[in-house]
Amino acid sequence: MLANIIVIAVIALIIGFAVFRVVREKKKYKGNPACIGCPYNHSGEGCNRNCG
Amino acid sequence: MKIALAGNPNSGKTTLFNAITGRQEYVGNWAGVTVEKKEGPLKPELNREKADVTVVDLPGAYSMSPFTSDESITRDFIRDEKPDVIINIVDSDNLSRSLFFTTQLLELGVPVVVALNKYDTAEKKQSSIHLDWLSERLQCPVIATIATKSAHNSGLKQLAAEAIRLGLSDYRQPAPHIAGTRHAATEADFEKADKKRYEFVSRIVADVEHRKVSSASQTAQDKADRIIASRWLGIPIFALVIWLVFSLSQAWAGPFLADILVGWLDAFQSWVAGLVSGVNPFLSSLLVDGIIGGVSAVVGFLPLIMILFFCLALLEDCGYMARVAVVMDRFFKRIGLSGKSVIPMVVSTGCAIPGIMASRTIKDTRQRRTTAMLSPFMPCGAKLPIIALFSGLFFGNQGWVGTSMYFLAIVIIVVSGLIVRRITGDASKESYFIMELPEYRWPSIKRAALSMLVRAKAFIIKAGTIILICNAVIQILQSFNWQLQLVGDAPETSILAAVASPFAWLFIPLGFGLWQFAAAAITGFIAKENVVGTLAVTFSVTRFISVDDLALVGGAGEVGAVFGIGAAAGLAYLVFNLFTPPCFAAIGAMRGEMESRKWFWGGIAFQLSMGYTLAFLVYQTGTLITTGAVGTGFVGGLTAVLVIAGVIGFFMKRGSKLSESMEEGVHFAG
Repeated sequence: MLANIIVIAVIALIIGFAVFRVVREKKKYKGNPACIGCPYNHSGEGCNRNCG
Repeated sequence: MKIALAGNPNSGKTTLFNAITGRQEYVGNWAGVTVEKKEGPLKPELNREKADVTVVDLPGAYSMSPFTSDESITRDFIRDEKPDVIINIVDSDNLSRSLFFTTQLLELGVPVVVALNKYDTAEKKQSSIHLDWLSERLQCPVIATIATKSAHNSGLKQLAAEAIRLGLSDYRQPAPHIAGTRHAATEADFEKADKKRYEFVSRIVADVEHRKVSSASQTAQDKADRIIASRWLGIPIFALVIWLVFSLSQAWAGPFLADILVGWLDAFQSWVAGLVSGVNPFLSSLLVDGIIGGVSAVVGFLPLIMILFFCLALLEDCGYMARVAVVMDRFFKRIGLSGKSVIPMVVSTGCAIPGIMASRTIKDTRQRRTTAMLSPFMPCGAKLPIIALFSGLFFGNQGWVGTSMYFLAIVIIVVSGLIVRRITGDASKESYFIMELPEYRWPSIKRAALSMLVRAKAFIIKAGTIILICNAVIQILQSFNWQLQLVGDAPETSILAAVASPFAWLFIPLGFGLWQFAAAAITGFIAKENVVGTLAVTFSVTRFISVDDLALVGGAGEVGAVFGIGAAAGLAYLVFNLFTPPCFAAIGAMRGEMESRKWFWGGIAFQLSMGYTLAFLVYQTGTLITTGAVGTGFVGGLTAVLVIAGVIGFFMKRGSKLSESMEEGVHFAG
């Protein structure tokens, strides 16, 4: 039982962190769908590329 | 304080921007790489005054009169946002051409510092430029720089200090030459003013520059270009270069390094599997197979991708890729495009997004939209794992698979260009392409390594975020049925199978009518790497690189036993994923650049049709050759392809009529 709870917590943590990163990117680029997954959004202040 | 970097295309602005800000923006050894302005703070070690300095890298421009939309960004920024200082990057080896733009910048009243960049190249050619005289004639500081070297001996410290000094003062830049274009009303007035400006620049250059090597004499570079960019040898040389690159990344060094990495990933996965051996099977499977296995399957291809990007960066840096644009120009002219369209396509080999955006440098709207539509056909970095996977599983990591996909992409682009030209009724006979060929130079290992690491980092982040989430969702969807009961060993009854099966039905004529392949193709639209991740999750296979563990070494037949498809269907699936619409991010970029709903949706429909038709032809032809009979679903697939051909034919006929009526209109007007 405890092992199951720990695994659930680990999975939630991993997925939660991934979702957090994606949502943060989405907010940073004002919901611009073209920026999600773009390899050029690595720069801290935004890329100014205005793809979408 | 805002410092703007402005100068001619390929003068080294982005290299200098990266050097003084510490950023790693994409640099290419050709004109037109930067199409949007980029900002970054000045490096602290170059900012002794501790001033608040933002550096803005602007797209290259030959003059303040815009010819392309990216040039207008430079003009609008300098005129409207009024930077405190302009650092004008001047190519030391092209002084007379570069100073035309310099004299225009000097007229604005904003303090200007001239960075005489690539000074080492000019010195190598035994050219000397009298910096003090040039500074005196231009009435602004002139500093020799080599942006590719470290800050200590490249003139960058002096350049930054001078720019900050002028920016903090109230200095108003005097102009050594006033062209009088401000009140020019007609084109003739502009031409007259430009002629005077050229005369002024020529006089300065004659005074300050001493060249030992005449521009008119043929150099070793010119001789090399006669072979590399030649009409007959250009294409075979390009094919050989790409084959070498693919062989190195996907047949020689790549799999060797990938095998080591996959071994580590596999050990980690086994270790975690041992830790969770006693927990609920669904949770264990979600963590071990879905999350770790799915991500590992994608990350396992990292060495292959890194080697490929390293090689491509070397090719760009040495100046070869600019020659490819020249080689391809004659083909592109025939389809109503120009060599300028080649640059976005070459950029797309890294990522389709900047490739699509690079189409912005094309002045003609139809050419620009066509280029944005066709650029995603080039296999981008995200598609490489798919190429590597199918090349490895079905064709023993042969270098020709990746190479042929590149050349197939070029053929498809040419054919598609012809179709789009007919559909749009374009009647223009010829287009002209003028491109400044950069000097050949030894490629920088450091720059290539940096470019490779930036892309590798982006790849890992993507694998750890979007791909991880997708794999987890796929694992959950294939573990439950609609009643939310675990399906156990019958994933064909899962929600994922139910959602993907209708699409799988459409893929029967293409040879991969299985719900797993359909699910992978769909998730591929989120990110193309997902195709590999989803296949790994749905087939419960993670060691794609080392096929030994799967007992797949026996050849395509045994691979088929695991995947349920043969080599022809495998190749068709590869073609389908490469030549259908790109990921959503690139689709968003396409929408932005096309600025037309009709073009955008037409482009998506065209890409879907192209991918489907090609996959059908590859599977059915391959099956016919290998078995002597056509594959399953031939009649249905042929009907779909004929309908596609009919619709395209209808639009092409309509376009031709439109073109004829326009030509008649021109004759009548004439």
